[in-house]
Amino acid sequence: MSTEASTAPEVPPDSGHSETPYEDKIRWALTQSLKPTYLKIYNDSHKHAHHTAMRDSVSKETHFRLEIVSEAFEGKRLPMRHRLIYQMFSKEMNAEGGIHAMQLLTLTPKEWEDRQAKSNVE
Amino acid sequence: MTVVEITSESHFNELTTSLPATTPITLSFHTSWAAPCAQMNAVFNYLSTQYTDIAFLSVDAEAHPEVSETFDVSAVPFFVFIKSGKVVRELSGADPKELSAAIQELSGQKPAGEPAPTVENGTDKDATAEEDLNARLAKLVNAAPVMLFMKGTPAAPQCGFSRQLVGILRENQVRFGFFDILKDDAVRNGLKTFSDWPTFPQLYVNGELQGGLDIVKEILVDDPNYFKNL
Repeated sequence: MSTEASTAPEVPPDSGHSETPYEDKIRWALTQSLKPTYLKIYNDSHKHAHHTAMRDSVSKETHFRLEIVSEAFEGKRLPMRHRLIYQMFSKEMNAEGGIHAMQLLTLTPKEWEDRQAKSNVE
Repeated sequence: MTVVEITSESHFNELTTSLPATTPITLSFHTSWAAPCAQMNAVFNYLSTQYTDIAFLSVDAEAHPEVSETFDVSAVPFFVFIKSGKVVRELSGADPKELSAAIQELSGQKPAGEPAPTVENGTDKDATAEEDLNARLAKLVNAAPVMLFMKGTPAAPQCGFSRQLVGILRENQVRFGFFDILKDDAVRNGLKTFSDWPTFPQLYVNGELQGGLDIVKEILVDDPNYFKNL
């Protein structure tokens, strides 16, 4: 199990034509390298479509918000966890018209459990 | 040479009359509460280490109104450039590139970091430019105890995440310095490499990268008093 992958593993050739290539890639890469126990990918691009910086963008996959729960985050402080993810998608984030932003929630299974428990009590 | 902070009008007069007439002088007018001043102070300090033939003087515009009036200062940050006892240029606003160019023009020497011009070795020049940039970035991230590198300014954010982060800092009554990375490509790109972080806004505390909006929100979930305890 590779938890220290710094570049995304190659995606399998897609048999169909996906409308969400970036989302597919993100899901594939994260699942492969981090073996998350929980993974949610939100595409928030529509919330930013009207912003000046996005004016010339034709992509529908510019802004993502990810919630990832994985053992791989154990022992790592938040900036390190985020760097791990950013490094995986550095190509996509640097590409012209690529991913513009990724908001990340990165928790270990224990932290996730604690958070669920807290919100159930309140 | 380091920046000399002016303590009174007489201090100012003493200094300027005691300097040799050939020494160019640059004055920086700032206030303690205006965030762009914190940013420009850091740049001013950095430039003072690069151009040792110029006298760098710093004036708290509100503390010394007489000096401010002498130079007709109505807004800060404000810079005055003096050669042979005459004001040759004035600069208003917080543009590090403009300030850097004006200082270079005022000076007779090349910035301290540059090697003597050589015909070969383009890589040497690049390496020094990079060192200069890193030195500048190191100073910038330390320009204030809490330093925000954002798109736009707190008064006019150009990005939703930057706007939200400013909101959080204000809610928590944090005093912070800021830098508009949209105004400076060198810093915008340099900081991404310097901190190994691809996005903005970026929040630094005591020179250390904390992260972006999502991290700051997380920190506050776990520790609502994070900023109060700084």
